[in-house]
Amino acid sequence: MIILTPIKKTQYPIIAQCISPDVFQEKTLEQINNLPIWIGNKRRILSDLFKIEKTTENSPSIIINGDVSQVRRIGWGMTQGEIVVNGNAGMHLGKKMSGGKIVVNGNAEGWAGSEMKGGLLEIKGDAGDYLGSPYRGSTIGMRKGKIVVHGNVGSDAAVHMKSGLIKIHGNSGPFMGFRMTGGVIHIQKDAGTRLGACMTGGKIVVSGVLEDMLPTFAIEFIKGKVKIELGDKAIGPFFVFLGDLAENGRGKLFISKEKNPQLSQYERFL
Amino acid sequence: MSKINSVTCPVCGCLCDDIELTIADGIVAQVKNGCAMCEAKFFSHSNEHRLKTPLIRKDGKLVPTTYTVAVRKSAEILAKANYPILYGWSSTDSEAQRVGVELAEEVGGVLDNTAVVCHGPSILSVQEVGIPTCTLGQIRHRADLLIYWGCNPWSAHPRHLERYTAFTDGRFENSEWMSYLNKVKAAAGRKKIKSLERKGILKHRREREIPTVSDNKPTEILDKKGRKLIVVDVRKSMTAEIADYFLQVKPGKDYELIQGIRALVRDQELDVEEVAGVPVEYLQQLVDAMISCDFGVIFFGMGLTQSPSKFRNIDVAISLIRDLNMRTKFAIMPMRGHFNVTGANTVFTWQSGYPYAVDFSLGYPRYNPGETTVVDVLLRQESDAGLVIASDPVSNFPRKAVEHLVKNPLIVIDPHMNATSLVGDIIIPSSIVGVEKEGTAYRMDHVPLPLKKVVDPPKGVLSDEEILNRILKEVRKIKSNRLEAA
Repeated sequence: MIILTPIKKTQYPIIAQCISPDVFQEKTLEQINNLPIWIGNKRRILSDLFKIEKTTENSPSIIINGDVSQVRRIGWGMTQGEIVVNGNAGMHLGKKMSGGKIVVNGNAEGWAGSEMKGGLLEIKGDAGDYLGSPYRGSTIGMRKGKIVVHGNVGSDAAVHMKSGLIKIHGNSGPFMGFRMTGGVIHIQKDAGTRLGACMTGGKIVVSGVLEDMLPTFAIEFIKGKVKIELGDKAIGPFFVFLGDLAENGRGKLFISKEKNPQLSQYERFL
Repeated sequence: MSKINSVTCPVCGCLCDDIELTIADGIVAQVKNGCAMCEAKFFSHSNEHRLKTPLIRKDGKLVPTTYTVAVRKSAEILAKANYPILYGWSSTDSEAQRVGVELAEEVGGVLDNTAVVCHGPSILSVQEVGIPTCTLGQIRHRADLLIYWGCNPWSAHPRHLERYTAFTDGRFENSEWMSYLNKVKAAAGRKKIKSLERKGILKHRREREIPTVSDNKPTEILDKKGRKLIVVDVRKSMTAEIADYFLQVKPGKDYELIQGIRALVRDQELDVEEVAGVPVEYLQQLVDAMISCDFGVIFFGMGLTQSPSKFRNIDVAISLIRDLNMRTKFAIMPMRGHFNVTGANTVFTWQSGYPYAVDFSLGYPRYNPGETTVVDVLLRQESDAGLVIASDPVSNFPRKAVEHLVKNPLIVIDPHMNATSLVGDIIIPSSIVGVEKEGTAYRMDHVPLPLKKVVDPPKGVLSDEEILNRILKEVRKIKSNRLEAA
């Protein structure tokens, strides 16, 4: 097990995609110390920024004790092991990860779990924008895996999502699940505007208040409860909307009936 | 006194290339064919407030210096910086932009142009869904349905309507200028009659009902033959006044409106009675007009790109064009502001692969708007030096971003003193591109046009390209010295 403690604060962005169990595995402490990172436009080594300790326990896991909100690309493409961040994490956390587990005991910046292919990403605080969404111009979103956010989520989360599960215990921002084609999203509190815009598949469950309903969703029926994952159900009743009609989509929105009396006007179409 | 014909106007994205100038005693004496902005630009070169020597900040005050000192100091700042930003580029020629990319790569900085606070969202959505577009010549000769969405060309691109769209005689479509004149005459006549009635000279007559367009009701005008001009906006702008049909959308609800139109184009039924404040039956009539045209175009501006939803608005607008192209021919085009912002995007793309927000800090170009855009870098207080060229971010960036920009060493290259020059540390005056220096600029439809040199720059004033080349040379010298020392 490797323990990293930040020793220096800097105003410049730090790119450290070497912080991953796959990279650290079977490396001596000296080799880890000399792994390359970028601070601004200058090339540095990992020990310039962190105090690095190796415990006797031989497991592929990393613990970061401290605020690393300036450090980007932690856990890039990881396939195994565990990263625990005791503080805030920077952008592109767990990007392209396909296995293992990342736990953040704090907030995460934008593009956390971007293009995720597997594994578990748990954020105990808030997540920034573009959670589980691809980079600009890409249409490959989250393909597998699970993201759990205990706080709130920014805008444009789960864009182009294909499969997998995102659970949000707090509120979500606008454009959640934009152009999603599959997978499940559960928002336990309130959802922002333009939920599920241009979606063609998958399902989004909102247990709280929906800020605004897009005109291109049509009501289908009312359902008592809905399955989120094995052993987890959301209790309704829920209005079930089908859309997005502008894309001839068959995505499903489950919106809590009790919390959204403004949607009762749709009941006349049932 | 001499006359110069076919001069390209270096003001807005229209790049009108039919300007006639009269030069007397080495200054522009008369501008023909141009709009008010064009005249102001051509006359500005002889402005008495024009800066002619470089300035450098010493003890909090700007004092005159020489080009050699200003260039050397600028190069030292940039070569030392850990994360410099190089911003502006949209009001200079493509030749200078090319050197700019080289300089940004050399100093490992963030290169960004004014698209970031303008049509950057359009570029993002083009990268996601593509863009079915055409040149302005095509539109001039063939388009019979013209839609201006969230833009006001009558004020911002004054000759757009007259040169490329509704008020121009194309090969296959006629100008609607006369019908506009008739409309204006009729309005003036009505005003006259009313005033006479008020004075008691004319007996009061029962007013004939005139169809209004402000209540979103599509009038029979949508069925008329010939060119049709539709304006979609949140308020009745100058362009909306002259339009055949004006659709007023609730502020920030463009996304819903476009999605509603898309669903109707796809023959879907909507479960709601109105979308973004517009009844669905009116929308249906608008959709009918769109589908029954021969060649339609949507021009969009800041109203779409900088209102809530930003690039998602453009995303669905382009998707709407894709849907409409299954029924008829349609194209879409952003109304670019600065005369060479399209050029900045084009030059950056062919040099680095990305149109704006290019980060060279890792030695290779990276692009991720939100992370590498100048405004975000400044708001997160990451940069430690700045070079601003042909732009004025201090007057239009968010206050927090400006605060950070000013806190660090700031180099400004601009022909005039503006808000950014006043707070800069090194001010380097340059010649005005398109007036005092020839070059290349890209029109809003990506057509490159040559800019002419019509007068000489003030004595000793260098061009943007020359200044950047000198800084680049100096940066390379400092870097090689540093390597030797190491």
